[in-house]
Amino acid sequence: MKELFPAKQVMGFVASLVLTAVALLVYFTDMSFTVGMTILLATAFIQAFLQIVVFMHAGESKDGKSIYTNILYAVFIALVSVFGTLLILLWDM
Amino acid sequence: MHIDHSKPLEYSTQQNQLNILGFWIFLGAEIMLFATLFTAYFTLSARTGSGPTPAEIFEITPVLIETFVLLTSSFTIGLGIHAMRLGRKNAMMTFFGITLLLGLCFLGTEIIEFMTYYHEGATYQTSAFTAALMTTLGTHGGHVTLGLFWGTFIILQVKKRGITPETANKSFIFSLYWHFLDVVWIFIFSFIYLKGMM
Amino acid sequence: MEFLERFAIPHPSPAIYASMVAIALVSIGIVAGLTYFKKWGYLWREWLTTVDHKKIGIMYLVSALLMLFRGGADAIMMRAQLSAPDMKLLDAQHYNEIFTTHGVVMIIFMAMPFIFAFMNLIVPLQIGARDVAFPRLNALSFWLFFAGAMLFNISFVIGGSPDAGWTSYFPLAGNDFSESVGTNYYMLAIQISGIGSLMTGINMCTTILKMRAPGMTLMKMPMFTWSAFIANVIIVFAFPVLTVALLMGTTDRLFATNFFTTSNGGMDMLWANFFWIWGHPEVYILILPAFGLYSEIIATFSKRNLYGYTSMVASMVLISLLSFLVWTHHFFTMGQGALTNSIFSITTMAIAVPTGVKIFNWLFTMWKGKIRFTTPMLYSVAFIPLFTIGGVTGVMLAMSAADYQYHNTMFLVAHFHNTIIPGVVFAMLAGLTYYWPKFFGFMLNEKIGKVTFWLLTVGFVLAFFPMYITGLDGQARRMYTYSEATGFGALNMLSFVGAALMAIGFVTIVYNVYYSFKNSSRDIGSDPWDARSLEWATHTPVPEYNFARTPQISSSETFWDSKKNGHVLFKGEIEEIHMPNNSGVPFVMGIIFFIAGFSFIFGLWVPAVIALIGIFVCMAMRSFEKDHGRHISVKEIKETEEKLGGAK
Repeated sequence: MKELFPAKQVMGFVASLVLTAVALLVYFTDMSFTVGMTILLATAFIQAFLQIVVFMHAGESKDGKSIYTNILYAVFIALVSVFGTLLILLWDM
Repeated sequence: MHIDHSKPLEYSTQQNQLNILGFWIFLGAEIMLFATLFTAYFTLSARTGSGPTPAEIFEITPVLIETFVLLTSSFTIGLGIHAMRLGRKNAMMTFFGITLLLGLCFLGTEIIEFMTYYHEGATYQTSAFTAALMTTLGTHGGHVTLGLFWGTFIILQVKKRGITPETANKSFIFSLYWHFLDVVWIFIFSFIYLKGMM
Repeated sequence: MEFLERFAIPHPSPAIYASMVAIALVSIGIVAGLTYFKKWGYLWREWLTTVDHKKIGIMYLVSALLMLFRGGADAIMMRAQLSAPDMKLLDAQHYNEIFTTHGVVMIIFMAMPFIFAFMNLIVPLQIGARDVAFPRLNALSFWLFFAGAMLFNISFVIGGSPDAGWTSYFPLAGNDFSESVGTNYYMLAIQISGIGSLMTGINMCTTILKMRAPGMTLMKMPMFTWSAFIANVIIVFAFPVLTVALLMGTTDRLFATNFFTTSNGGMDMLWANFFWIWGHPEVYILILPAFGLYSEIIATFSKRNLYGYTSMVASMVLISLLSFLVWTHHFFTMGQGALTNSIFSITTMAIAVPTGVKIFNWLFTMWKGKIRFTTPMLYSVAFIPLFTIGGVTGVMLAMSAADYQYHNTMFLVAHFHNTIIPGVVFAMLAGLTYYWPKFFGFMLNEKIGKVTFWLLTVGFVLAFFPMYITGLDGQARRMYTYSEATGFGALNMLSFVGAALMAIGFVTIVYNVYYSFKNSSRDIGSDPWDARSLEWATHTPVPEYNFARTPQISSSETFWDSKKNGHVLFKGEIEEIHMPNNSGVPFVMGIIFFIAGFSFIFGLWVPAVIALIGIFVCMAMRSFEKDHGRHISVKEIKETEEKLGGAK
């Protein structure tokens, strides 16, 4: 796949810019906290997914499965730690 | 050292593949590192003592500059790796160089941002919120700084030794690092700055 | 000399002064000995610059054994102090310092290096590889551990020991209540050592995923390698949490930040939260390789393959996930709400299930097997009932409402020692005995080994079971004394007797090494136990390159197949082998980290910054590195193989 024009990179970049702009709506317009957080969560995770899959070529080698398992595991434990901590220290006090 | 010519150069030897997988696993650990920093930030962001709150010190302009600069640098390093895979050494070094320059701009903006906070009474020691904020931003910025040095060393090596299995491998791994820093920034941008300015 | 005052011990005692003298004498003795016997060159070439996983494993092993005695000395002092009411052996301050160092040393500087020793020694051999994925990083891991250990161990003679418990909770560990540098030692020594551990995590995961001999699918790996793999996965995701927590603790103490303070918005509970998000996975990091060793030993000495391979693997994968979901059970009483406590109660009880599966699988392995009660097998057989008791008291503790009664009493102390000693320590000793002949060329004496086993087992029961009772009766943890009226005296005296038996038991291990070194036959072959897995298919001593030819894998018990079922292990021509070169950089980096740590601890900012720069300079040097190792020629391999007893 040695095309000269970096189509994937350009599309990924444009998509990231769009996602960033959508996230910025949270600042530039008025919306409830819940809606705002939902937008931020969606745009952040989609953009992160783009970076990892398209830019970082996570799946392109035969270690792809290990790499995805590793990232999924990390994200899972990260979420547990973040939300577990918030539950313990902020929400269920 | 057995070179597998059916694969891209950075994957072409056993050690190369080990290096790349090892680095991905390191990134998994880094996800947990930054997750812990974010955990501290979310827990402490309302605990401002007698100091300023997030809404009082965050400004959209530097944040926009930092975000746009870092995102573009992620794009340019992607172009750099693309050039590398086409064997185009000069294009690769140029794109890497632009990436590092953009990184430097990012760092400069962030330093000015920190100086502004300092002058507004939000210092490292002021409150739990400022401690968590600056440690998170600082860890990310520290990683970028390390990246600037590391990236420079790689450009020097490619310049001197050309695109070989080793230099390709190192360059690719550096690109993984750089992309990862942008992934972290996406979360900083969204859940520290934007959330704090809603 | 005001500058020097900061290095003085805040609470000296005769024992501490005696230790200073002893340390000085031993250090001089070592330097003198090396010089007299002209061994500096040998030391540098063979050990300080090695990147060979087997030698690194031996260095971890020696370190762990030395630290076992340091931690054990702490233990016997505590037990002596508590053996009768109102004893005056140790005052409160010294007692606090001792239980703190006992905990940190035993977990971070004894148990961790012990498991790293076995991982390093065994994993590459079990998967048919020549070394780990990143040999230089491996050496760096060891020297970072060593730097951290040395740093922590000098605290009690320079500047003062930490005294806030191995858990170092804030605000006690903050500047207001812990004024000496002791807690700085804690933050920095564990940080340095922890970086080494994280590197090992990455190294071992990559090695196991990518360097297995052809034919060895994941589900054909030996069980110890599986356990090492899962433990290292946990390391990768748990240690960064500790890194951040220690960083925040350090900045709170050194740079007046407000993470864990009680003013300016600080939240002291956050430390406990982070510590245990790391701390609970940490105990699974310790126990899983122990389980792996038991799997190997029980299979070998029951002359049967391990029962339930798939469920053994599945249970460990499940444990690794669940281990990150239970951490709050370490602080049920800290003030969070009932919903939180209930959730973590349930997850904690859930994690007992996969462990139970493993216990049954070991029992089924032994069922109708041809059992040989060698020393390693004795430890394994004792482990099963003893660990089970520890486990069920864990389920008692897991009930958050009930835990309000048990928390921080001696009941808790009994529980975790009941899981760690039969679980981890017995496994380490069993593994030490089991693998000793492979790496040292002679067997440890069986008779002495059995004496050790009985002393340790009886001693352990006598030392710790009474604590369950005194804990339920109300004896608190980390208390340096108790009054006659409490009635704790008799059982604590029994504990002391048990501890004394254990101490004698540990001394017999030293004697065993000495005795066996002098008297054991060196003609034991390469498979003295008639074992089942690939590490026993190597020569004794194992040559630098491990295997002359990469082994062909048939099943999860390939070596057994080759002995009993005619499977051919090694086929084809010998080819030249590529090996990495030695390097002094990991050792030098260890020294630089030590200097950096020491400087930060005492607020010596200039050397601290210089040392930090030094670390980055070493990393830059590595980036420009052009050393690609060397090749061992076919001729040399064939000669080595001949010398070691036939080309295998």
